Amino acid sequence: MTRRDFSERDIHMALDGELPGEERMAYDAWLEADPEMKARSARYIADRAAMRAALAGVMDEPVPARLRQAVFGEAPVKVSAWRSRWWLSAAAAVVLAVGGFGGYVAGVDSIARGGGDDDQLAEQAIAAHVIYAAEKRHAVEVPASDKDHLQTWLSNRVGLKLVAPDLGAQGFQLVGGRLLPAGEQGKAAMLLYEDAKGERISLFVTAESSATSKGTYTAEGGGPEAVYWLDKGYACAVVGSLPPERLSDVAKTAYGQLLAGISS
Amino acid sequence: MDDKKAAILSEIPRLRRYARSLLRDRDSADDLVQDCLERALVRLDNWQTGESPRRWLFTIMHHLFIDQMRKVNRRGEAAMLPLEAGEAQAAPADQVETIASREIIDALQAISPDRRAALVMVAIEGFSYAEAANILGVPAGTLMSRIARGREELRGLLDDSSRRRSIRIVEK
Repeated sequence: MTRRDFSERDIHMALDGELPGEERMAYDAWLEADPEMKARSARYIADRAAMRAALAGVMDEPVPARLRQAVFGEAPVKVSAWRSRWWLSAAAAVVLAVGGFGGYVAGVDSIARGGGDDDQLAEQAIAAHVIYAAEKRHAVEVPASDKDHLQTWLSNRVGLKLVAPDLGAQGFQLVGGRLLPAGEQGKAAMLLYEDAKGERISLFVTAESSATSKGTYTAEGGGPEAVYWLDKGYACAVVGSLPPERLSDVAKTAYGQLLAGISS
Repeated sequence: MDDKKAAILSEIPRLRRYARSLLRDRDSADDLVQDCLERALVRLDNWQTGESPRRWLFTIMHHLFIDQMRKVNRRGEAAMLPLEAGEAQAAPADQVETIASREIIDALQAISPDRRAALVMVAIEGFSYAEAANILGVPAGTLMSRIARGREELRGLLDDSSRRRSIRIVEK
């Protein structure tokens, strides 16, 4: 029998059933002769048993009706872009874990992968801003000079009572607005504002939302920032390349007025 | 078609268990499973006959999970903003959870998502290294190092929490 050197790596392989059968005896002998490794192996086995026990009950739970429905229901509607809010709880879990384990910070490996098709409000709002805020003559479909028509038209299309916020106190004047697609099938209103220096921000408002969330978002490569709110029945993002405090201030004012308009 | 649906249905308990190990909160975990099922059904044609529905479904769910974790991660600030009351504290999945099982699930939530997925896939779901590497879309070597690091991380976290528990007991 050829004896090879075993290492900690083999403990994992043995535990996971990946150790070739012919090496098993030699491995067992090695483990027996090394108390430290033997203790480690025993500990991993115990932890695994605890994990399995903690999750065993899930297998016996009846399948929730909504999941059965998802399989056997009507032809599935396309997955709504913002219906899913489970990731929110994942975010909360990260916060809780960081706090709960005495500042233990889990090192989250960054994963390089293209985005799924469940694009988020913020990404759409940023994309719209990048395209249209840069346009000199064709930034908007309906100019601010026709504000009443703009508001009526967008309200009807988007399905929300839209009142273009007055951001004069923040130094921004309405340029105008346009209609855009949102989510899978929905529509969004984009309202463009400009300050005296020509700096532009945009408001992206849609009724396509059933999640509740708020936060800020910047694309991986940098670029404009979005401050967003999602609520049941409407969602809003304010996008711009302002210093964070100023963007946040403008966004809060805009959101407050939008909300007042929507619920008026 | 209905054969395929029946095969998918029979995988739900496993998908739920995997989701629960990834996300802890029962509703959030079921949301993830539901997303996975909906996505699977619109792509039913992508599922090649003969291919294990389990591997196919786990792959879909894993992509959903990792995509969202990546977004959450990039949105670090969003995670730090106060959520509406009741949102931040995920409801415990079961009232009858023992301390030990709560601790291990908490610890599992605290290790990095990549390691968590790799470890659970192999240690709980029973996939081979080759299968798990395939589902996670990483080389076998990467999978192995995630499993090894995941186990170490988990052990450290469990040691910490049992130390804290014994301190609390001493203080009483």
